[in-house]
Amino acid sequence: MSNDEKPRIGVYICHCGENIAGAVDVKAVAEFAKTLPDVVVVRDYLFMCSDPGQELIKQDIRDGLINRVVVAACTPRTHEPIFRKACEDAGLNKYFFEMANIRDQCSWAHWHEKEKATEKAKAIVAAAVAKARLLEPLEDRYIELKKDVLVIGGGIAGIFASLDLANAGFKVHLVEKSPSIGGNMAKLDKTFPTNDCSACILTPLMVEVANHPNINLLTYSEVESIEGSVGNFKVKVRKKQTYVDWDKCTGCGACLDVCPPKARVPDEFNEGMSLRGAIYIPFPQAVPKKAVVDMDACIKCGGRDFSGKEPKKSKSGKPILAPCERVCPTGAADRTPYRDPNGEIVELEVGAIIVATGYKVMDKRVFKEFSPDHPNVITAMQMERLISATGPSEGKLVKPSDIPKLLEAKKKGEKVEIEKPHTITFISCVGSRDNRYHTYCSRVCCMYMLKQAMILKEKYPDLDIYIFFIDVRTPGKDFDEYYMRCRQLGIKIIKGRAGGIQPIPGDKLLVKGYDAEICKPVEVVTDIAVLATAIEPDASLKELARTLGINVGAEGFLKERHTKLYPVDTMTEGIFIAGCAQGPKDIPDSVAQAKAAAASAMSLLEPGKMTVEPLISEVNKEKCTGCGVCVPLCPYGAISLVKCEDGKLRSEINPALCKGCGVCTAACPSKAITLHGFTYEQVLAQIRTIARWPEIQA
Amino acid sequence: MIEPEEGVPTVLNLSEIAEREKEEEEKVVEIVREFGAENLIYCMQCGSCAAVCPLARVGFEWYNKKLIKALLLGLKEELLDDPTPWACVACNRCTEVCPRLVSPFEVMFAVRRMMVEEFAIPTLAIEGLRALYEYGHAVYMTGREARKKVGLPEKPPSTDSDEQALKDLKTILKNTKLAELGLIPMND
Repeated sequence: MSNDEKPRIGVYICHCGENIAGAVDVKAVAEFAKTLPDVVVVRDYLFMCSDPGQELIKQDIRDGLINRVVVAACTPRTHEPIFRKACEDAGLNKYFFEMANIRDQCSWAHWHEKEKATEKAKAIVAAAVAKARLLEPLEDRYIELKKDVLVIGGGIAGIFASLDLANAGFKVHLVEKSPSIGGNMAKLDKTFPTNDCSACILTPLMVEVANHPNINLLTYSEVESIEGSVGNFKVKVRKKQTYVDWDKCTGCGACLDVCPPKARVPDEFNEGMSLRGAIYIPFPQAVPKKAVVDMDACIKCGGRDFSGKEPKKSKSGKPILAPCERVCPTGAADRTPYRDPNGEIVELEVGAIIVATGYKVMDKRVFKEFSPDHPNVITAMQMERLISATGPSEGKLVKPSDIPKLLEAKKKGEKVEIEKPHTITFISCVGSRDNRYHTYCSRVCCMYMLKQAMILKEKYPDLDIYIFFIDVRTPGKDFDEYYMRCRQLGIKIIKGRAGGIQPIPGDKLLVKGYDAEICKPVEVVTDIAVLATAIEPDASLKELARTLGINVGAEGFLKERHTKLYPVDTMTEGIFIAGCAQGPKDIPDSVAQAKAAAASAMSLLEPGKMTVEPLISEVNKEKCTGCGVCVPLCPYGAISLVKCEDGKLRSEINPALCKGCGVCTAACPSKAITLHGFTYEQVLAQIRTIARWPEIQA
Repeated sequence: MIEPEEGVPTVLNLSEIAEREKEEEEKVVEIVREFGAENLIYCMQCGSCAAVCPLARVGFEWYNKKLIKALLLGLKEELLDDPTPWACVACNRCTEVCPRLVSPFEVMFAVRRMMVEEFAIPTLAIEGLRALYEYGHAVYMTGREARKKVGLPEKPPSTDSDEQALKDLKTILKNTKLAELGLIPMND
């Protein structure tokens, strides 16, 4: 169909059930549309996106009645592709389609002002028709897609996304910032609702990742920068300096014990309830099982600082070595060669990215009402470590205040009498559902409190366990049955979030609460108080999102493209999200999302090429003065100044990088840049219609 | 703080209650389960029993839902003097609506049984028991004169007027826990 042909516009107005028709007089808008220039067909229908609705458009095209289509309905974000395809199926260039949003920006916004909503709908339709008269046919473009995928984050979500992709034959680069993969799940003792051991189900997967021929595992590494776009991302990853030769390190652990007390710092893996050396392996099942040196903690014994110096000699002529390098049987901890503190930059080229960076547990210290500095007021994650066989007390239930005593005795090989805790109290929604901190529900706390309570009660039936809840939320599969089992075990469920904890003599804590079920204030004298502190986005997530060019929501979690329809996609094509980086969720949901993200990446990359909308900007070389204003403005780095045959510099736009945002088009002082699909003429026609609306209306 | 002399204190120290249960080596929940309220532990405090309970409507404090929670927390002595269980009219509406098949009515009656064991019975209940033993009616009929006036036999045609039936009833009652507890004289 040629562009010269006189426009014959069909206008289709959707009722969207009551969504539009409830506020807008659709018939009145239709009558009005008939009066607009070049409009030859006007129809209204209950649901334009339905099969019969689309058929109305197709039939009118096939009958030769129309050669431009305007649908006045909902948002182009979800529905433009549907109507474009209908046009294409009927033989019309799909860019002869224009959408007028009279729902989100009209009927929904002005639900209680029906007359004004109808007038506004007319204006929006008139503007769309004004633009439709000037539409041009455009042709889709194709780009080649790289088949490698970058997965950021090596927790359970990142692990599953990597394995699914790798098993399907895609090359995966898995980047994890800590020395081992495993994430938060590696810290858990058992997992609800089946109480199977977390390490038992996680460790084999970690090993599979490490051994998979299609997975390039980059631990102790962080994403430095990302360029490019879908199908062709260029990623720089910094492999942080480990100060241990990983090719030689066998993970024997000989170095761990000799690191001196002065260099010991709180152990992250045990949530600060024990100490680790400056040289450390994060946990026994770490993958890869390699040691790293924490330079902030290292005291550089014997002046051994990796600066490339030979060791000093003692009087007897023996070299003075740091204890860790002295005991290392393979020479992996050798401190003589110079090691660059900046580590190493690795460059990757990938077609898609999956972000699965997980979460962190909220700090308890802000909750002054709960005496957070008392050693026996702990977070639920600390409780996980306390009951875990790999935890500071090797799974023995003790008051955290007794751990130093226990560790000291273990070191000396002595036995020590430690009083068993009699009472444990859990407090829910600490920082969640709280307008001072996080308004959302952290989703897993109810279940993990019940889990910890159940495990403890089954192991130590004499324990008195209290759980203070606002509401018990157990909507997952087999979750409510789990909750009921807890009640039947005699775990005391108190409806009401506790208001305070105060230390009392005898190394006890007094929990003050209110039982809303019997309408009375209650008190509990407890040995350990467990705070179910909120799940939060990691502090570094915002920075990573900025690097990737994806959005975060008000609460700081990564924002999905559409809550219901595109839950693992982002607004940036080719970047997917999974796990708790998107919002709090449990292991089953994280895994499901990881597999969904992997499948989405596969269906994107498998064809090897993809269609790209031709709605991008183009420079008119004759008008361009080479001022270069547009170059730094482009958010995608798509514009460069290129020397032309006449020796002058002019802007050039790389069509593979251009996203059609229009920033350059708006900024160009010579109007030399055209954004196809949004030309000056088209946009001005729309603006003129709206601006002159009172006149037109009269 | 205003502490009532008896009954449930204004602030409940749950640890003290748990401690007491351990010292006495008996759990209140187990006692009432033994007395017929087996399903008590399935209660999730939804409150639908209280929504239909006449006692809750007229202002008794420890109606079904609250009573169940109090028992689950281990309260016993605090509840012994409470009149609520004795006011239960056994309408059984609570049993019909309970989604967890707890039978709150059974809980009410199990608590009565627990109270009887502890001799915590209101005078009115003792009177009723005595009347049951004497005449076969827990609520004794006072209208003998009125019956005579309208030409009816003084005693109604029930156990009250049937010597053999009354004898049988007394034999039955003598073989129940009631006789064991010696709450009412059963000398004849």
